[in-house]
Amino acid sequence: MRTYLAYRLGTSAIVMIGVSLVTYGMIFLTPGNPAEVILSERLDRPPSQAEIEAFEAEHGLTDPVPVQYGRWLTDVLRGDLGTSYYAETQVTSMIGTALPVTVELAVASMLIALAIAVPTGVLSAVYQGTSVDVVCQLGSLVGVSMPNFWLAYLLILAFPLTLGVLPVAGAGSPGQLVLPAVTLGTGMAAVLTRLIRASMLEVLAEAYVDTARSKGLRGRIVRYKHALRNALIPVVTIIGLQFGSLLNGAVVIEVVFQRPGLGLLLVDAVFDRDYPVIQGITLIAAGIFVVTNLFVDLAYRSLDPRVSMGGEAS
Amino acid sequence: MKATEDERPIDQRLRRRRFLGAIAAGCTAGVAGCAEGASDDIDGETVTIVPPSNPADSDDQWERWSGMTPYWTRVVEPLVWGTKEMHAKPWLATDWELTDDTTWVFELREGVTFHNGAEMTADDVVHSYENDILERYGDFVYGWLHLEPGSVEKIDDYTVEFTNTEPFPDFPGTIGHNMLDVHPPSADPWNGDVIGTGPFTLEDVEDGQYVELGTHDDYWGGDVAPDGLTVRAAEDETTRTNLLESGDADVVLEPSKPRLTSLRRSDEFVVETQQSSGSTFVSFNLYEEPTDDADLRRALNYAVSQSEIVEEALGGLGRPASGPISTVIDWAADDELPDYERDHETARELVADSSYDGEELTCLVRGDQDDDDLIAQILQSEFDAVGVDLDIELLERAAYQDRTGRGEFHLAIDGTQSNSPGADYIMWENFHSRGVDNIDLYEADGTGLHNLGGEVDDLIETGFQSNDPEQRHEAYVEAQRRIVEEAVVIPITYREYAVAMDATIEGVELHPIDRLLEWRSLRRSQ
Repeated sequence: MRTYLAYRLGTSAIVMIGVSLVTYGMIFLTPGNPAEVILSERLDRPPSQAEIEAFEAEHGLTDPVPVQYGRWLTDVLRGDLGTSYYAETQVTSMIGTALPVTVELAVASMLIALAIAVPTGVLSAVYQGTSVDVVCQLGSLVGVSMPNFWLAYLLILAFPLTLGVLPVAGAGSPGQLVLPAVTLGTGMAAVLTRLIRASMLEVLAEAYVDTARSKGLRGRIVRYKHALRNALIPVVTIIGLQFGSLLNGAVVIEVVFQRPGLGLLLVDAVFDRDYPVIQGITLIAAGIFVVTNLFVDLAYRSLDPRVSMGGEAS
Repeated sequence: MKATEDERPIDQRLRRRRFLGAIAAGCTAGVAGCAEGASDDIDGETVTIVPPSNPADSDDQWERWSGMTPYWTRVVEPLVWGTKEMHAKPWLATDWELTDDTTWVFELREGVTFHNGAEMTADDVVHSYENDILERYGDFVYGWLHLEPGSVEKIDDYTVEFTNTEPFPDFPGTIGHNMLDVHPPSADPWNGDVIGTGPFTLEDVEDGQYVELGTHDDYWGGDVAPDGLTVRAAEDETTRTNLLESGDADVVLEPSKPRLTSLRRSDEFVVETQQSSGSTFVSFNLYEEPTDDADLRRALNYAVSQSEIVEEALGGLGRPASGPISTVIDWAADDELPDYERDHETARELVADSSYDGEELTCLVRGDQDDDDLIAQILQSEFDAVGVDLDIELLERAAYQDRTGRGEFHLAIDGTQSNSPGADYIMWENFHSRGVDNIDLYEADGTGLHNLGGEVDDLIETGFQSNDPEQRHEAYVEAQRRIVEEAVVIPITYREYAVAMDATIEGVELHPIDRLLEWRSLRRSQ
C-alpha cells in the first residue's frame, strides 16, 4: 500500500504540473489583456497605454511567459497562490472562502444523487421490462436531458415563488442548500441510475447469482448483499469522475442561486483575466480530482480485492 | 470661477457581469408570466435592496474597485454629488472656486461627523486623496483626476486646495464620484474598518452575499428613515427578480426585462424607470475598408429604426437616440442633429454609391452586455434589406476589448456612461484622436477608430478646457453634429434603467446615475 501511495502521489504531482502548464498556456493564448480588462473595471473607462504599462510592470506581465510560470510555480511550492489582480487579495484567502461553499453543494448533491439513483437503478434492473423499469428509465432520460439552469428556474418557480417555501438564493443556511443541491443532484442521479441499472443487470446475469439462488438464499439477500455490492464497483469510479464534473455544474448553479463558491469565482476570474485566481482554482480543482480518484481506487480495492494497483503485484 | 451647477467629467463604461443572462432571460420568459409573488411580511423597518452588481465580492475588504459597496451603500461620501441634471452639487464640500487656471479651492462643510464621532476636517480630505487615492492607486488615476501626488493641500481646517496638472474645468464634477470618498486616517477600510460620513454604517459583510448596514444617527444631511439596509448580491437579473417576488427583497435594480410587464401588472409591486447618463450606439471603424466610406456609414444609419430597436430588443426600456450622448447631460445634442429617419430606398442608393462591394462586415458584440446581441441581430436583418452583409461576432469582454483595441472590426455595439456628474470624458475618450479609444492606433499610424480628427478634435478640446458654459456647450454640440453628419456612429438609445420594488416601499428617488441613488428616505407604508 505504501508503495502504491508513493507511486500515486508522484503521478498526481505530474498531473497537477501538467494541468497548471496547460492552463497557463491556454490563458496566454486567449485574447484579452488583464491590464486592460481590470483597469477598465476599476476606472469605468478604457485605460491609457501608460496605465496599462504601469499595471503590467507592477504584476510582472511583461516578463516572458516561461519566467512568469516559473515564478508562479515557485510561489506555489512555498504555499503561495499569489494575489488576485482584480481584488488585490490573496488567492488562497479567496479560495478558502469559496471552496467550502462549493464542497457543501457537491456533497449534498452527491448524497441526493445516490439517494435517488441506487434504489431507482436497482429497481429498474430487478424489474427489467416491466412498467417500473419503463418509469425509472423515463425519469432517468428526463433527468439527463433537462438542463441544470432550466430545472433550477422551475424549482424556484415552484417552491419559493408559488408555494412560498425555501429561499430563492444565497448560501449559509440549510434551507439555501436544498434547491441548488436538488438541481445538481437530480442530473447526476439520472446518469448514475442508468449506470447502476446496467451494472446490476450484468451482475444479476452472473453464474454466482444463480448459484446463490439455487442454494435457497432469498432473492432480497441475493440482490442486495451479493449482487449490489459487485454492481457498485464501476459506479464508484463514476462517482469519482462525477465529483470532478461537479465544478462544471457549480458554475451554472452558483450563478443562478448566487452562491459565492468556486464556480462563481472562476467565472469572474476568467472574464477578468485574473490569472492568479484562474490558476489557483484550476490547481485546487485538479487537486480535488486527483485526490478523489485516489480514494476511488482505494475504495475499488476494498470492494474487490482482486483489483491490483500500480506498484503492487497482483 | 465660482462653482455653479455646471460641472461634468469623466465617462465610464457600463459593464455588468451577467453570465447566463441571455439564457436565463430566454428560459424565464416562458415561465415568468405565471409567476405569482409570495411576499412575506417583513418586520421592522430594515429594507433589502438588490443592485445589479455584487456588494461584497472583495473578500471581506473594503475595496473601491470591486464590489459596489462604495457605490451603492452610502457608507462613505465624496466632496461633490450630482444633481438630476448632471451638475455638480455641494456635498461634503459646500463651495469651490477656481483661483487660477489649475487651482481649485474647496470649502468643506462644517459639523460633518464620521461614524466614529470625529469631525471631518481638511486633514481627512488630504489623507483620503493623497494616501488612499493618488498614492495607493498611482498612475491610472492621475489622468482621470488630473492630479498627481502632492497636489492636494490643506489651507485651514475647512479649506482644501487642489492643483490640477493642466486646466480642467470639469474637475468638481469629476470628483462627484463615490469612489473618491473621504474617511479618517484612523480607518483601515482595506481591512474591514470602514468609517465614513454617510447616512449608513457598515455592520457586517458576508462575502459574496450581502452587506448589512446600520444608520448614522448624526448624519449631517438629517434623518435617516430606515432602521437599516441589507444590500444583497444577485448579479443575475432573474435571481434579483425572484428575490423580489418571493419577498426576500424590497427594491431591485434592473429586474429581468421579460418580467417587467407582469411586475407592472401586479398590485404587489411598483416599477419605475429613469433615463440614465448612458447611451448605446454602434461605432464604426473609420479607418477600415469599407466602413471608411461615409456614404456606406450613412446608408447603414438610414437602414435602421431606433424606435423599433428600443421596442423589440429593449422591451421599450430606453429612448430612441439621435446622437451618441444621453440627453440627461446638458451639452448633449439631440434636436440639433441630422436625423436619419429609416429609409431603405435612400440607404440602397447610398450603398450603391459607396465603395461597398458585397463584402461581409464584422460587427463585434459583447456577450456580457444585455440586449446587445438582439440589437445586432436587428441590425443584421435591416442591413440585409439594403444589401449589406453583416457577420455578428459575440465575444466576452476581454476578447472584445482586444479586438477593438487592435481595430480588427468594422462595427461594434458600443456605448458610454458617466458615473459622475462630470461627463466631458465621454466625448474625449470616444471621439478625440487622443482619447483612449483612439490614441494607440492614432499614435502608431495616424489613424484611430472613431476619431474624425482636425476640427472635431479642436471642438472637443474647446469643450473640455473652456470655463465658459455657453462656449463649452456650443463646442460639444457642434462636435456631435459633425460626428452624426459623418455617421461615425449609429445612435441607438439613450439608456433607461428600471427599479422594481415592493408596493409598500416609499421614498425611492431615481437618479440618472444609478450609483447615486439615495436610500435614506426609504420607508414602508402602513
